[in-house]
Amino acid sequence: MAENSVIGADTVVSGHIRGQGSLEILGRVEGDVTLTGNVVVGATGRVRGNLSAAQLTVAGQVQGDLRGTEVVLVERGARVAGDIASPRIGIAPGALVRGHVQTDGEPALAPSVAARRPAVQPRVVAAQPAAARVAAPQPAAARVAAQPISPTLLKAPHKAEPRKPEPARPPAPPVAIETESASTRPVKVEPRRPPPPVVPVISKGTKAKKKKGRD
Amino acid sequence: MTRPQLGLSVLGPATRVTGRISGDGALRIEGLVKGDVNVRGEAEIAEGGSLEGNLSGEALDIGGTLLGDARAESVIAVRSGAQVRGELRAAEVSIEAGARISVRLETEFELDFGAAQRRR
Amino acid sequence: MAGTVIGEGLTIEGDITGDEEIVIHGQLRGRLTTTDAVTVTGTAVVGADITGSSLSVAGQVTGDVTATERVDIQAGGKLVGDIKAARFTIADGASFKGNVDMEV
Repeated sequence: MAENSVIGADTVVSGHIRGQGSLEILGRVEGDVTLTGNVVVGATGRVRGNLSAAQLTVAGQVQGDLRGTEVVLVERGARVAGDIASPRIGIAPGALVRGHVQTDGEPALAPSVAARRPAVQPRVVAAQPAAARVAAPQPAAARVAAQPISPTLLKAPHKAEPRKPEPARPPAPPVAIETESASTRPVKVEPRRPPPPVVPVISKGTKAKKKKGRD
Repeated sequence: MTRPQLGLSVLGPATRVTGRISGDGALRIEGLVKGDVNVRGEAEIAEGGSLEGNLSGEALDIGGTLLGDARAESVIAVRSGAQVRGELRAAEVSIEAGARISVRLETEFELDFGAAQRRR
Repeated sequence: MAGTVIGEGLTIEGDITGDEEIVIHGQLRGRLTTTDAVTVTGTAVVGADITGSSLSVAGQVTGDVTATERVDIQAGGKLVGDIKAARFTIADGASFKGNVDMEV
């Protein structure tokens, strides 16, 4: 099982984040996040960029699109300006969302109405090939801990996601980003190789700002 | 079924309406409506009910099928068994996981990112 | 009880078809066809042809009415239109203008 990464509440990450494993965002990210695991944006999290993950939970604020290959949950107090696409989408009372929201697959339409409205294509999730999935997302700011996946969350079968069949991959490799309660250390930037069984890395040029005065 | 309350209209499951519906009071749609619906009270599309047309009311509860735009003074709640396609406009829109939707949400709010935290 | 109830504040402009009881307290302009009973209550104003198994009118109906069983116009009710029904009653104090065709 992959260890989980955290971007602390006082950290700002400028640049794209991609790879396998899961991530909890309590600080600020300016860039896209594309992970095969789960992503939780905590209540203090602020993301300007697109988020793509297996299970995506947002309790903070996002300016960008949300794509979950399994589920997207937007919790009370969250604010999302962007499009949402996933087979299962939950928007809690008290959440604020503005954008196009679509579960994969079309609602059954009467022929006359189908002709009236243009067909909407399901969005292709730009996700890396799946590694071992980690955990069901915990509510809001709790750490994403490794747990057996709750069967209810994965009840909906995958629909309409055009994906090549993937070779079985080994359990997710160790995470390059160390987890600290308040900050994220600068990480090694690994060269990309196809197909990349890479650890969650931050692209070249990414600056992780950390608080001075702390370890 | 319980007797409908005063002020509540019900279009039963074996009823089809083609045309406009408007007025005071609340409305529950258990059958099929083709046309616009505009009521001052709460409007509900029950599971099994269907509306092809636009819907507006004080608050909306969508458990069936809605193909059209919806506007509420207060809240729109989309239940897990619903199918919705159209634009939803309200102070608050909630969607239960399981709903099949292709909707545009036009909720009015500002993001509040604040300044990047940078304490030295 | 199952069925359709059009409340007093509601207005429907269009056609209603159904296989269940319909009670109208509000306004209808168009057409109403059901295989079950139709009740037009005292507050209702209906401008429509009505077809049902039975029809009871305590409000205002302008249109032709057809019932497989019976049509009853209550005191205070008003019907302007033709009646086609096996049986009918027009109560004292009711108002009616039209023709009647009693199928036998």
